[in-house]
Amino acid sequence: MKARKAKNKKMIWAGQTGLLLVILGICELLVRTETISSLYLPAPSQVFRELFKLFGDGEIWRHLYVTLAEFAVGYGLAAFGGLAVGMALVLIPWAEQFFRPYLSALMAIPKVTIVPLLALWLGIGITHKISIVFLFCFFTITVNTMTGIKQTADNHLKVAKVFEATRYQTIMKVILPSAAPTIFAGLRLSAATGLVGALFGEMLASKDGLGNILVKATSLYNTAQAFAIVALVTVVSVLIIALIDWLERSVFLKWKSS
Amino acid sequence: MAGFTVENVSKVYDGDLPTVSLQHINLEVRDGEFLCILGPSGCGKSTLLELLAGLQLPTEGEIRLDGAKVQGPSRSSGVVFQDASLYPWRTISQNVGLGLELGGMRKAERQALVDKYLSMVGLQGFGSKYPHHLSGGMRQRAGIARALVSSPNILLMDEPFGAVDHLTRLQLQNDLLRIWQEERKTVVFVTHDVSEAVFLADRVVLLSPRPGRIHHIFDVSQERPRKREDARLLKIQNDIYSAIYDVKTEADLEFTI
Ligand SMILES: Nc1ncnc2c1ncn2[C@@H]1O[C@H](COP(=O)(O)OP(=O)(O)OP(=O)(O)O)[C@@H](O)[C@H]1O
Ligand SMILES: [Mg+2]
Repeated sequence: MKARKAKNKKMIWAGQTGLLLVILGICELLVRTETISSLYLPAPSQVFRELFKLFGDGEIWRHLYVTLAEFAVGYGLAAFGGLAVGMALVLIPWAEQFFRPYLSALMAIPKVTIVPLLALWLGIGITHKISIVFLFCFFTITVNTMTGIKQTADNHLKVAKVFEATRYQTIMKVILPSAAPTIFAGLRLSAATGLVGALFGEMLASKDGLGNILVKATSLYNTAQAFAIVALVTVVSVLIIALIDWLERSVFLKWKSS
Repeated sequence: MAGFTVENVSKVYDGDLPTVSLQHINLEVRDGEFLCILGPSGCGKSTLLELLAGLQLPTEGEIRLDGAKVQGPSRSSGVVFQDASLYPWRTISQNVGLGLELGGMRKAERQALVDKYLSMVGLQGFGSKYPHHLSGGMRQRAGIARALVSSPNILLMDEPFGAVDHLTRLQLQNDLLRIWQEERKTVVFVTHDVSEAVFLADRVVLLSPRPGRIHHIFDVSQERPRKREDARLLKIQNDIYSAIYDVKTEADLEFTI
């Protein structure tokens, strides 16, 4: 029974790989026979060649580094800031009631619309991108933190009270752990949008970064290189989410996975 | 020495429509006794228990624990909640050790006590599991161990076996009596199961429906170990049932008038 399941799984996997190869092969054929101009669709082989070239001449590392740095700093700040602000708003009496309208108003602004303004204030360097990433992530993390904290079960708090837990102990040992799944959902959600923020900022106005070279490649009609960069960005995005999932499962939410 | 004096206590919950949950309760909980509080849903049993635990304060009247006014939770009472209320993010050991940890005891010292109480409630070997790995009855046992581990003089239990199946429930009752006799604690046990109350208690306090008042206190002086089918226990059970029936008809009358 089990062996059969494993076999089925293998078959499916082989089928999927096969289909992918067929699709790539068709693309290759279409371009080679000039049925489709390589201006619109690069041959897969050419995309791979571009990828190797990008990594070969080393230039790509700098851009990758810039994008990742922008993301990491902006996201890190948003994570700490969102956590702190979210906690403060819920745990300090009246804070939420007082700041709620401000928070709602700020959240309602479509963040992309202020990206050009930010360039005006901060220039087009790394600070600009960091602040975009921050804006793209901060509110989701704040709101999820607040939701998570408010979901703390009444009985869980009573247990802490019965044992005469201090305020600090209650926060660290009851409120935060019980809010952790919701907080992590916010962190995962905003990781993807944060990366989009960095790339978007770079595409709009920048001197380097993956978004910058992507725009350059497209405007020079180097479609193969554009495809290569898109593939690279996708991998980066998947890796970032995987990293957060790993953190969640093996560090913070061990109890959930098992 | 560990007993409560409840003197003329009333509890009103504020709100648009203030709810009188308890009215003029006078009660003595004696040292070392097993007291059951029995009553229909919504009559204020949980409220009374939380008042005893210091989780809430009475609107009127006074509760004293060994002569001192109850003004907040104290380490001399351990509380067991209806749904066990274990922390899902902690292992069973960490849950059971919670009170000691919050009290600042070091880990090595905690472990010995935690293990002792885990085996007392029959959970040896389950310390490293998480609550969702355990059955409802086992979770309840863990909840009891968590209350016992800080060695409170008093155990306050709010329908602790309400959510488990009948056979498990009988087993848990036996185990609870064994632990009570080993540890010599004062127990206040809320339930709405008449046979459970009669089997466990030295005295059964019957509350009337909203607002909760003491309707009658039944003495159950049978020697332990008791037999569930003991005719004298069944007689008390019947007395309680007819008292409940009286209460019900009175309440119905109030409604119709
Ligand atoms: N926090 C609260 N705020 C307002 N009213 C409350 C609150 N807690 C309980 N009440 C009210 O007080 C009354 C008694 O509630 P309580 O929970 O003590 O009843 P109970 O006897 O434990 O019922 P059950 O058997 O269903 O657990 C109910 O009418 C309930 O609506
Ligand atoms: Mg109740």
